[in-house]
Amino acid sequence: MYGSWANRLLLVPATVWLLVMLVLPLLVVIIFSFGERGTAGGYVPAFTLEQYANLSARFTAFKNTLLLAPTGTFLCLLVAYPLAYFLAVKVHPKWKTLLLVMIIVPFWTSILIRTYAWIFILGGQGLPKVLGFLGIEGVRLINTPTAVLIGIVYAYLPLMVFPVYVSLEKLDKRLLEAASDLGSSPIEAFRNVTLPLSIPGVATGCMLVFILLMGEFLIPALLGGGKVFFIGNALVDLFLQSRNWAYGSAVAATLVIIMLVTVSIYMKLVVRNQQ
Amino acid sequence: MSKKNDQPISRKKFMQELRRYERGSVTRRHFLGVTGLGVATAVMGAAVPGLLPRKSWAATDIGDRVILATWPNYHDPANFEKFTEMTGAHVQVNVFGSNEEMLAKLQAGGSGWDVFVPTNYTITTYVGEDLIEPLELSKINNFEASAFDPRFSDAGTVNGTVYAVPKNWGTTGYVVNTKHTGGKQLTTWKEFWDITKTDFTGRTMVHDYQLTTIGNALKYFGYSFNSVDPNELADAEKLLIEVKPHLYAINSDYQPPLRNGDAWMSMCWTGDGKQLNTDMPEMQYVLGKEGGEIWSDYYAVPKSAPHRDAGYALIDFLLDPAVNAKEVLAHGYPVADSRTNELLPKELLEDPILYPAQELLDALEFGAAATLTDPNRAELLARFKSA
Amino acid sequence: MLSADTDAVVSFRNVTKRYGDVTAAAHLDLDVTAGEFLSFLGPSGCGKTTSLRMIAGFDQPSEGEVFLEGQRVNGVPAYRRPVNMVFQHYALFPHLNIEENVAYGLKQRAPKPPSKEIEMRVGEMLELVQLSGFNKRRIWEMSGGQQQRVALARALINKPKVLLLDEPLAALDRKLRREMQIELQNLQRNVGITFVLVTHDQEEALSMSDRVCIMREGKIVQIGSPLDLYDRPINRYVADFVGKSNFFDGAIDRIDTTAVNVKLDCGLMIKANTGPDLESFESGDPVCISVRPEQVILARKEEQLPADCGVKIKARVMNRIFLGEHTEYLLRDEKLGEFLVLSPRQNERSERPFDKDEVVLAAWSRDTALVLSSE
Repeated sequence: MYGSWANRLLLVPATVWLLVMLVLPLLVVIIFSFGERGTAGGYVPAFTLEQYANLSARFTAFKNTLLLAPTGTFLCLLVAYPLAYFLAVKVHPKWKTLLLVMIIVPFWTSILIRTYAWIFILGGQGLPKVLGFLGIEGVRLINTPTAVLIGIVYAYLPLMVFPVYVSLEKLDKRLLEAASDLGSSPIEAFRNVTLPLSIPGVATGCMLVFILLMGEFLIPALLGGGKVFFIGNALVDLFLQSRNWAYGSAVAATLVIIMLVTVSIYMKLVVRNQQ
Repeated sequence: MSKKNDQPISRKKFMQELRRYERGSVTRRHFLGVTGLGVATAVMGAAVPGLLPRKSWAATDIGDRVILATWPNYHDPANFEKFTEMTGAHVQVNVFGSNEEMLAKLQAGGSGWDVFVPTNYTITTYVGEDLIEPLELSKINNFEASAFDPRFSDAGTVNGTVYAVPKNWGTTGYVVNTKHTGGKQLTTWKEFWDITKTDFTGRTMVHDYQLTTIGNALKYFGYSFNSVDPNELADAEKLLIEVKPHLYAINSDYQPPLRNGDAWMSMCWTGDGKQLNTDMPEMQYVLGKEGGEIWSDYYAVPKSAPHRDAGYALIDFLLDPAVNAKEVLAHGYPVADSRTNELLPKELLEDPILYPAQELLDALEFGAAATLTDPNRAELLARFKSA
Repeated sequence: MLSADTDAVVSFRNVTKRYGDVTAAAHLDLDVTAGEFLSFLGPSGCGKTTSLRMIAGFDQPSEGEVFLEGQRVNGVPAYRRPVNMVFQHYALFPHLNIEENVAYGLKQRAPKPPSKEIEMRVGEMLELVQLSGFNKRRIWEMSGGQQQRVALARALINKPKVLLLDEPLAALDRKLRREMQIELQNLQRNVGITFVLVTHDQEEALSMSDRVCIMREGKIVQIGSPLDLYDRPINRYVADFVGKSNFFDGAIDRIDTTAVNVKLDCGLMIKANTGPDLESFESGDPVCISVRPEQVILARKEEQLPADCGVKIKARVMNRIFLGEHTEYLLRDEKLGEFLVLSPRQNERSERPFDKDEVVLAAWSRDTALVLSSE
């Protein structure tokens, strides 16, 4: 009796937090999404499906997000996996902490300032200029989808590196010896043992990055020059510029539904593969 | 050293840009709007006002703080210090990115502002939404209505009641780097859009802001800047979609790319035009012959103002011609107050960027309330950005 | 170049392995004959695991040469060597089921055998280790002993020239370990594959192996059959490691043609037979006398002792432990100090067992006392 009472008490903060910070705002968004926009913006209570009927007006933004979020996630993985592998397997333990800290250190600065720095790196006086010295002229990076992807990979790299690193770090090195002993070359051992055993870390990293990318707006705004338009940017404009709360809520609710569906499909696939 | 401009960005320059950014002093209005970070708050004076000695000689006790919502780079910090010295109230400044964002915040409630700076075309909306109060003019002795050019003070009066008093005015034109035009002077919005599709491809910036971007596209066809006519908007949309691939960016933070040479031309407000032209004479500020926007900013008091007396005291103080003149010298936007202009140097009053020729001014239009709140224009901009 | 013994499956020739400043193995010479069961025995850090890893190919020698079936394999990686290993904690692949674990080695072969053949061989292997029907189980659903069998099946499926076993029974409880020892021996006889085992457990090494290689501080101390090592240890270290023994320190006093006289530190003079290994000794060399506890004879009366006793002393019984077929006594003599005696029950039948605090006669024959260098 005492145990279950204490357990319930332990759950109180989390429950209150979830209610106040997640469930309530989500309810407000859902209620607003059936309302109407006031003449001067804001929200007028109503019950109409008009906002949902009009979702196609943000089709391109949804499409861009659903294309760039998986692409960004995949590129992030492509860069993060070798890095995590290097850190977990190849680096002498003496240097590990230092290198891990070096990955975290940029996080001590605001993402805004770091992304702003990329404006200069990718701008005409940055990387394209360096490429110009090497004879590659006329490269445009800033304000292109490529720049947005570079910014995404940079910003989300640690989120991918750490889960993958943890899964590789706890990998029993003797399993690789066993594979080698049974005739696997290092590459085969990686493919047959390391890779499958790091899948949980890869799955976690991809999930983290993908979910956050679905709501991303800062990097496209800064590195895409306003020309790369994610659903996050559409939401910022809807709430802060056109103040169309009802429509913004419908778009936000749809985004949540898309994420839930994508994530649950993904989870099913991953969990099935783990069985 | 003559090749300095051709070098990649120097460390010093980078730090300057970064600092500039960190101070929130990006180009007026839009950068913050774009990033959704309009809540960025700069605290002027002391962070903990209660710990500082209070001057007791103020006529009435107005409290220890006043909260001002305004635009970046739009005040002289020394004036705020003087105000604190005189009244004991510290000025806390919230910097915003767009009128829409200010409206959104007041509509949402709980803004906590005592004074804010709306632009002419928003005031009737604020009155209609019952968000601002009629000003108690007896508390603003420095507002002498007759001293102000009515063109820039009219919008503060709604249905015969004064709701806002004028701060500064200005124009929205474009700035062009004449190094790249072969010395040719541009004079119209038609040229702005046409050259973007040809010689300036990938070098032009437009605002991330429906009022000016759509308004100046409408000007290509000779329509009104404020048009909400569906057919005219359809023409403007066609032009914008056609031009989009040729744009460097849709972004209201246009000074950095113009300065480092990535962008050659951008829609631009008076103050930025003046700043760019001062540092780089090849940067010319152009008002399209077809017209465009003229605007005026005001001080107003939200109904919810928590430190109302301090808010009035701050407006009164900033409208003191001596104080206002210092403000102008700091930010470079013209005022409509003849008393203040008497205190300003002649060169400034004759500057063609601040005070354009009359025939250019005549063609300009003030933004209309209906333009700001028109949902079709908002949707048009969204289609343009996501195209 | 040194050549390998052609009969040997594995040969070490002057093999040394260094990790930085640490020498893990020094100047090893060894031949493992085909079909034998050889154990490396020694405490941790003695170099036994390093030796095994050099056979497997996980480590390469710093000096000297390693041969597999007469072929020099220095520098050949583990995955190209025809040997397989059972790892200490089995190192089974957690993401694969039992069948996939066992099949792993076959599937790595080039060319890969047809799946029918793989299925058949896996079935054979699982039958061999008595795990038929467990094909689809996951690793974590298996007990420690079962995992051990899976590891064996996985290592044997490729029919290695040598099966390496790294402390394979260490993780099992005592009873299961006994069973597995017997099973391993049977298995080795059935498959006819050479087994090389590493262990720190002397009982395990002695009970299973044809030959035991005793290692200490990176060197091979002695290689021999369990019987050799027990009866003819070359020094005190081996005698101590293999079975229990009583040691009495002293120095050589005089060497006759028939016997060695050792003067113990306590002053006692003891006679022992000369052996072949004693040629190198000279008068004054520090040595010790080793007497196995079961070789000490206890009696109440002098006439009950054999005639050729090298030593006859009176000692007090300090402790008595009943062990079933044997009784273990701890005795104490003023001069010799404490020593153990293992007395078979049949010797006591005529009389009652010796009591605690009883003073008895202890003796051993000259033949059974070994003179060993005290290394």
